[in-house]
Amino acid sequence: MTTKKWLVLAGLVIILAVLVLILFNGGEREKIKHETELSSPNAPSAPRETAGTRMITLFFLSEDDDLLHPEEREVPAGPTLTDDLETTVVELIKGSAKDLIPPFPPETKVRQIFVTKDGVAYVDLTKEVMENFAYGSSSEMAAVYALVDTLAVNFKNVKKVSLLIEGGERETLGGHIDLSRPLSPQYSLIAK
Amino acid sequence: METKVSLRVQQAAFKSDLIESVGWSRGKESYAFSINLRRKDFSFEHKVRANPFELTIDLKSADEPGEIAPPVREAAMAETPGDATALPPVVRPAGAQEPRKFWTIVVDPGHGGLETGAKGKFGALEKDITLAISLKLRDIVEKNQAFRVFLTRDKDTDVSLENRSALANNHKADLFISVHANGSMRKNARGSETYFLSLNATDEESRRLAYMENTSSVLEAQIEPENQDDVKMILWDLAQSAYLKQSSLLAEKIQAGLNELLGTLDRGVKQAPFKVLTGVACPAVLVETAFISNPEEEKDLGSEEFQDNVARAIYLSLVEYFKSYS
Repeated sequence: MTTKKWLVLAGLVIILAVLVLILFNGGEREKIKHETELSSPNAPSAPRETAGTRMITLFFLSEDDDLLHPEEREVPAGPTLTDDLETTVVELIKGSAKDLIPPFPPETKVRQIFVTKDGVAYVDLTKEVMENFAYGSSSEMAAVYALVDTLAVNFKNVKKVSLLIEGGERETLGGHIDLSRPLSPQYSLIAK
Repeated sequence: METKVSLRVQQAAFKSDLIESVGWSRGKESYAFSINLRRKDFSFEHKVRANPFELTIDLKSADEPGEIAPPVREAAMAETPGDATALPPVVRPAGAQEPRKFWTIVVDPGHGGLETGAKGKFGALEKDITLAISLKLRDIVEKNQAFRVFLTRDKDTDVSLENRSALANNHKADLFISVHANGSMRKNARGSETYFLSLNATDEESRRLAYMENTSSVLEAQIEPENQDDVKMILWDLAQSAYLKQSSLLAEKIQAGLNELLGTLDRGVKQAPFKVLTGVACPAVLVETAFISNPEEEKDLGSEEFQDNVARAIYLSLVEYFKSYS
């Protein structure tokens, strides 16, 4: 019995080692490819990818100033761009692991995300994003640009972001920032 | 061979005793540019310059044989005394037929009705503060006979953002001032700031607007007749883009006024794509008086004295604006 157990365990270890080797090598190739793809002059930091996961940079407001501060996070990767976008927005809504300020009400859910050929990411959120915060100009700008800048920095395919709520267009989140046109990133809002 | 006609149409609203309206239309084989006049007794001269082609038409009413009368606004401002609090006199400059009697100011109290705006820790609502300040601002500005004031709302009602700018455009406003109280998720956020519009235009719109900015409130329209209505609507939607320069100057003046009278932290003049400003066809700003989300400033915003000071600061700034810019 014990010998059998050991044999099974040894077999598993070998299989695991082979798998790790394959994945690691695959990951290496992927990583190099990814970094060249993402070397955009505008992006403060290009995300790196390791096997099965990818590093993303989320942007949050801090108590110190009115700027957006980066926070790196390792998240499951793929398989599709849409999955990566969704993971990123979900992580952004979850909020900071440090003491940075969450941009949206944490109850907000992602309904759907898609990217058009000309680089507009449509991010469809549930109504909690409007109803659970009483936005002022500053908090509305922080919310909108945390999302727009996060997606533009992490995804080279995303040039602009359009925010939808419950599947439809809204003028604003709380009476301030115009959502009727796709928003360009504001890199000037990112802390140096 | 197809000839493309490019028309530059002055988009800025103007008031004239002589000219009623300017327009253009397309016939079967030609384009017609029309100037509709209010009266018969006029004469005109025209000059043509090639490369780039430029046609200048000087219109004169019959009873001014000499030079074209200076713009009435300029003439009136030249008479304004240095004291900012004094009323700009309503005078008739020599040569002008009927000088403009007043400037139209549209004051927009932010939010209203079900749309409360930001909230303070002690329960103050942005919509109430903005209305209180706007009513005070109207009372001060109206005392000066050089101004006529309209409010986008004078009670606690819902007004859509589109209707706010439409009200300004329908009244042919000379200035649009949206009054707000700021809210931040940061506990420490405090101070006053003044915004003017930053464009959030599509690439196609940006291309056209870049041209407009370069030629200062002159619009290039290369429009197929079947698309004319659409294009007009888009341009109306972005009417504010023709007034960004004046709007930034107005914002500077108002921010300086707030700094002088309020004693709040100076957060400066900023740009953002505020929905309420996009369709306004005159210089327009959005004033963030102070942070309702900051308990200290929430108290300030609720006090009569602070509200009076905000109203006075904005009033003095717009008098300054008309003096320095015409």
